[in-house]
Amino acid sequence: MKKYFIKLPAVFGLLMVWLILGGCGESRTPFAGTYQSMEPVAGKNYIDLDLKDDGKGTWTLAGKTVEFTWVVNDNKIWIYTKSGAILIVTPSQDGKILSADMSGDWHPGCPPGSCVVFKRVPKGG
Amino acid sequence: MAEAKALKTGKEAEPLKLEAVGREITVAAKARIVQQGEAPEYFYVVRKGRLQVFRETADAIRTNLTELGPGAYFGEVALVTGQPRTASVEALEESVLVQISKEEFDWVLDNNPGLARHIIQQLSQWLVAGDRRVEAEVVHQVKLRQISWFDYVLMVGLSIVLALVFNLYNDSGIPLIRGWGEKNTVPEISLNQALDMYRKHEAIFVDARKSAFYNQEHIKGAMNLPEVLFDLMYPMFQFTVAQTEGAKDKPLIVYGGSYSRRFDLEMANLLKNKGFPHVMVLRDYNGWEKVFPLEKKEAIEAASLPLGFAGYLEWLPLSIFLLILIPPIRRSPYLSVAGRVLLGAIFISFALSKIMRPAVFALNVVDYGMMPAWGVNLWALTLPWAELVVALFLILGIRTRAAATLIGVMNIIFIVGLVDAILHHLPINCGCVGEVGEPVNWWKVLKNTGMLAMTIQIFLYDRFLVLDRGGFILRDRKI
Repeated sequence: MKKYFIKLPAVFGLLMVWLILGGCGESRTPFAGTYQSMEPVAGKNYIDLDLKDDGKGTWTLAGKTVEFTWVVNDNKIWIYTKSGAILIVTPSQDGKILSADMSGDWHPGCPPGSCVVFKRVPKGG
Repeated sequence: MAEAKALKTGKEAEPLKLEAVGREITVAAKARIVQQGEAPEYFYVVRKGRLQVFRETADAIRTNLTELGPGAYFGEVALVTGQPRTASVEALEESVLVQISKEEFDWVLDNNPGLARHIIQQLSQWLVAGDRRVEAEVVHQVKLRQISWFDYVLMVGLSIVLALVFNLYNDSGIPLIRGWGEKNTVPEISLNQALDMYRKHEAIFVDARKSAFYNQEHIKGAMNLPEVLFDLMYPMFQFTVAQTEGAKDKPLIVYGGSYSRRFDLEMANLLKNKGFPHVMVLRDYNGWEKVFPLEKKEAIEAASLPLGFAGYLEWLPLSIFLLILIPPIRRSPYLSVAGRVLLGAIFISFALSKIMRPAVFALNVVDYGMMPAWGVNLWALTLPWAELVVALFLILGIRTRAAATLIGVMNIIFIVGLVDAILHHLPINCGCVGEVGEPVNWWKVLKNTGMLAMTIQIFLYDRFLVLDRGGFILRDRKI
């Protein structure tokens, strides 16, 4: 019986570690970098998107900067805002192009009218 | 051994001469000397070896009663009472016994009152010990089946405490009650007045709901600025408003509040803070659908993203649900153990996907429109922790009946929410497993029904690998 008292928490611990690690998502490194919207939005303004390797990021438009956190899951970038909204961003061309679904949900192909496309730009450029 | 000595010597003053009666026999290991239910013929004294006394039911459930060694004796109960054998005796190893016939046994008793008294004492002790064993087992079983309010208070209380403490230290923490204590300073306008302004093109209407709701149905000509994406989308909104002819002097009428969250009020305050001078909300915040001309689109099923491992796990209760239809399996405690592990793993997975980002889950709760606004954040904070705590209790075998009841109640709530969302064609995702876009459909309802059936099975038949009340039960008890 003693064996079971040792085995049970061990099995349970492994399960927890597996579930927690499973929830951490994939590596952010391939997508970390700076991006800019390909088309101007809100007049002549472009959106600057900065994805940092530590999971933090910024969205800057017309001088206003919004901070968020991001993860990579199933080869999609999930941007979480403080208010609880999620933007699901689909990378293409090895992460050079990002398509952000601005509807707050995810739609295959990024819905026209609610889609902002970003291209990777050199840091500071 | 004391009994054996007493048997060998009888009363000190009147020694029993065992050698005068009976005959010595040798039995091989595993040989059955006495069979439960058969007519008694002999009394036995163990000279050498080890024997097992046990009872067995018709469906082969065996209860080991005691083990006998040199000096012990057996077979006296049936000979004294004249009833069939009450238990079976089997040799655990090669043993040497003295076999005494009924006539010899009666003769010894008639001529040895000391021995007769000793046997009566032994039988009485056996009877009392048997009663105690039965009582202990009944108490154990009753405690195992017992269920009390304390169990629920313990689990729910623990979940609430953990949720509140975690929320304090979570970077993504949320207020317990959204908007608590905030004064509403936004002017309201009646539906008729708003309709009048709408017809005269004297106001800009802003829909503050999520895009999916807006796309499904909105006031014709209204702009969409989802409150949850305000920070990201405001500059675009500002630009669009600036491009609208005569917009500068027009008031903004914001709508889109629901029973679960006043998006309209929150948005109106945000717009006021951005410098819009005339911002109003509808007094009857959910009456616009009946009054204004609407632009409608057919409901689009929300796109789904892969659920991963939890998605596969969720199908298992449904498969097990089919097993429950077979009566002998339905009552199997092994099925209960499998169900506990399975439900536990599913609910831990559910919980971990939601715990870190309560604001996301709170929005999922708002989507269903069933929870009053003051309860949304409390629910979003507590439910994932309740899922985790109850799942742990279930897996570890602590108060499993109460844990199964709570998971069952959660499943009923989920089923009601899902059915309501399906019937009202709500353009939402389930929100069951974190933020992944799991669709709301009848399959999801079926999966939850499977889990509900599992909780009922656990409630009724769980009794193995239970670490609670009366010790750890690994398998059927050997008394």
